[in-house]
Amino acid sequence: MKKIEAIIKPFKLDDVKEALNEIGIQGMTISEVKGYGRQKGHMEIYRGAEYVVDFIPKIKIEIVVESERADQVVDKIQESANTGKIGDGKIFVLSIEQAIRVRTGEKGKDAI
Amino acid sequence: MQNISEHPSKMLLQKRIELISSLLKEKSPTFLKQHARILDDYFHESFKRSIVNPRIDIDKNPYAIIALGGYGRKEQCVHSDIDLLFLFKKSISDKVEDLIQEIVYPLWDIGLEVGYATRSMEECVSFADKNFYVLTPLLDARFICGSPSIYSELMEQLREKIIYRQSKKIISRLIESNKERHSHFGDSTYLLQPNLKEGQGGLRDYHTMLWIGRIDFNLKRFRDLEYYGRLSHAEFQALIKALSFIWHVRNCLHQMTGRKCDQLYFEYQTELAKILKFKRTNGQEPVETFLGELHARMEFIKQQHLMFLEQGYLKKPKRKSKRLKYKKDEGLKVKKGMLRFRSLESVLDSPKLIIKIFEESARLKIPLSAEAKRIVNEFGNLVDDKFRTSTYVVKSFERILSAPVQTFNVLKEMLSTGFLERFIPEIKGIINRIQYDEYHLYPVDMHLLRTVQTIKSFGEAENNTYDPLYRNLYNELKHRKLLLWAAFLHDIGKGDPGKSHSERGAKIAKTLLSAKGLKPKEIETISFLIKEHLLLVKTATRRDIHDEETAIFCARKIKDVERLKMLYLLTIADSMATGPKAWNDWISTLLRDLFLKVLSILEKGELATREAVEIVEKKREEVIRSTQLPHRRENLESLFNVMSPRYLLFTPANELLKDIKLYNSLENKEFVWNITKASDRNTRTVKICAKDRPGLFSKIAGTFTLNNIDIIDAQIFTWRNNIALDIFEVKPPLDKLFEDERWEKVEKNLKSALSGRLDLASELCAKMSAYRSIKPRTLKMPNRIVVDNTTSSFFTIVEVFTYDFPGLLFSITDALFRCKLDIWIAKISTKIDQVVDVFYVRDFDGQKVDSPEQEEAINIAIKEILPKIS
Repeated sequence: MKKIEAIIKPFKLDDVKEALNEIGIQGMTISEVKGYGRQKGHMEIYRGAEYVVDFIPKIKIEIVVESERADQVVDKIQESANTGKIGDGKIFVLSIEQAIRVRTGEKGKDAI
Repeated sequence: MQNISEHPSKMLLQKRIELISSLLKEKSPTFLKQHARILDDYFHESFKRSIVNPRIDIDKNPYAIIALGGYGRKEQCVHSDIDLLFLFKKSISDKVEDLIQEIVYPLWDIGLEVGYATRSMEECVSFADKNFYVLTPLLDARFICGSPSIYSELMEQLREKIIYRQSKKIISRLIESNKERHSHFGDSTYLLQPNLKEGQGGLRDYHTMLWIGRIDFNLKRFRDLEYYGRLSHAEFQALIKALSFIWHVRNCLHQMTGRKCDQLYFEYQTELAKILKFKRTNGQEPVETFLGELHARMEFIKQQHLMFLEQGYLKKPKRKSKRLKYKKDEGLKVKKGMLRFRSLESVLDSPKLIIKIFEESARLKIPLSAEAKRIVNEFGNLVDDKFRTSTYVVKSFERILSAPVQTFNVLKEMLSTGFLERFIPEIKGIINRIQYDEYHLYPVDMHLLRTVQTIKSFGEAENNTYDPLYRNLYNELKHRKLLLWAAFLHDIGKGDPGKSHSERGAKIAKTLLSAKGLKPKEIETISFLIKEHLLLVKTATRRDIHDEETAIFCARKIKDVERLKMLYLLTIADSMATGPKAWNDWISTLLRDLFLKVLSILEKGELATREAVEIVEKKREEVIRSTQLPHRRENLESLFNVMSPRYLLFTPANELLKDIKLYNSLENKEFVWNITKASDRNTRTVKICAKDRPGLFSKIAGTFTLNNIDIIDAQIFTWRNNIALDIFEVKPPLDKLFEDERWEKVEKNLKSALSGRLDLASELCAKMSAYRSIKPRTLKMPNRIVVDNTTSSFFTIVEVFTYDFPGLLFSITDALFRCKLDIWIAKISTKIDQVVDVFYVRDFDGQKVDSPEQEEAINIAIKEILPKIS
């Protein structure tokens, strides 16, 4: 099993969700996060006060899938979250040791 | 041994089952009393049959079985505890354990929860004296069986030894624990999942009133509060109705969960609504209707209980009021720190007193007395159409709306007395209207008042919880009253089911505000704010705020700075007043960023003025009209979305058409161009359309220079699909005869330069050093380079003021390219020998270059290539 973590631009969330639904991914976890990479926040000045955004708001998506599906999911996310401009984000793939469904106690593939 | 089938507990069980099943079939108004009665029957029967009792010699050692707490009040809910006291006159009999086993254990066996205490009279009184939580259940004590004189003696002793001596202390303790309870249960969890017993407006509020009444004036029955003048008849009736509803809900909840559950957790809400037979009404799901009604009832109980406390038990702080004495004809007076009407007649004579009292309450920061609130409520018919549209009343209301924030909320009083609903009938649909999700903590009416309150609190000097930006903006507003009206009405469209409550609300507001006599401009602003109150949040979360287009889109919709500031503050207050999940650091950062970018466009803005919007609209229409074919129109529409805003603003309509044709011919070529002769002067206009890439501009400029073509003016536009449209006004090639051939050569050179085969820098090297040593004709002003990172949120603007020399443009643009800058927009103009070049640039990642090192690097790079002026 693999866990896919994607950091994307907030306004791309709906597009990514729809794209994943199309390939049959039915669940995901979303969090509101902030960060920066090569895209930096820039300063705005208003009435002499400086407003800097050090950490830019992004959305993090986490999905756990069977290993065989991981590549497909990664490609779909990359396609749908892409704008071509800086700050589009990154996708990471991690290995998952075990997964358990709380309600039934099912483990492994049956849990995801 | 008793015959088990006849055991009183079995009969009790049977009767309970019957009683509960009839409860679920229809509301049984007497359930509580009947339930208490069947329990009493059990105890009487048990007691009669008791074999332990005769052994206790009740004459020598009198005792009684007494009901306490809820059972004592005969308010026994399905799974409420049964609280008992076995009270002995002198000392506790040693047989009491057997008695308990005989009478109490069977109740446990049939699944009831019983709590009991065995005490001697002395013990009991002593414990009650020391322990507040022993005293309160005793206040509701009721004799069940045994020796009646024991019961009377207990009550007498409690009264004499404890209550009379410490009534003030006990009452203030009750009020104290009440306050704590309210504050604990005012938390958001409890607003969404109310606790029927302990919550604000729950049964405890009613118990508190009862206990205080018992302590203060020996109240026997609840209805006596009416006779003692603490409640009007109407209030009493309404209170009983509210309590009956809550009890019914509580009973059904107990039954549904099979235990003493008093908190309406999420997972029970929908099912309970079904059991209680709530239906879909006015577009709301049964559960929403249910929760709305529950909220209304609990709110009423809460208000009644607060009024009860205010009437006699709360210490009024010594307030320094500006004016405590009113003239006789003013119709109001202040008594015990509360506002009241001078007399009922004065209200009937002058109905405006109804709003005046609220205004004075806001101004002086003192509350209305219970009696005054009662009058406002019960004489609501005085608020007729004339009242609603009277200028005096409207202005008074506006003053109340704008009054600074204080601990108690005049608007809320206006709501709970029913005045607000009569003054603005349009809010009827949103009163107690619950929005059933995790975000909305409050029903719509409360949410609107909270939004108003929140906005006003932005302006408070002492408030450190908010971003100081909010305070600055609030204080800069010229027409605060309009923002407050908008905040007050912004969700008024939610009274009807269906989407687009913003638009509906704006329409409703228009009608209602013009009836209230506001000016057309004011109404327009308020209804704009209502219609677009979700615009900023929607834009910030659904569009790329780092794209200039997004800020321009918003700026064009909002059109002026004052409206933008109001909309921003409204957005923030709306989110904050929704609930803790709707506002956090993440969304506040996103919104603030968008706000500052839109503000910048509006303040600096040629791009977003009303004229700009009109100009662009006109052009679009003209261009679209020029094509007859529908599919071409579609293409044009999508093309318009891709053209940059500056391009659309500055390019005349007829040129637009030509440019579109040029663009359509680009396909996969490196570039296409179009050379036209100017009609009035001897210049050529060269339009180049190419795929943008860093260095494009400098390569074109360089190619011109290589071919001795002087650039007079230039404009660079970059479209959103990364197409560059570069427009040059140039002096024609010197060779007039073979001009076409010259242009062919330029074309060849440009193709080579773009594909990298031609190294312009080295080709031009020799030429450039020759040019640079030419001194300018006049030495009026020194060179100037400005790197501006404040004017635009999206680009770094580089301005160069210098003297023209051939190849200047190539040099500058090449220098920018070597600084790893991409030119998006440029405007080059030459006046005789002075040149002003403005470049909107970004680095190769598409970001502004605003670090001091980068700015310095640009300065140096350009300075190097400019003519040295001594």
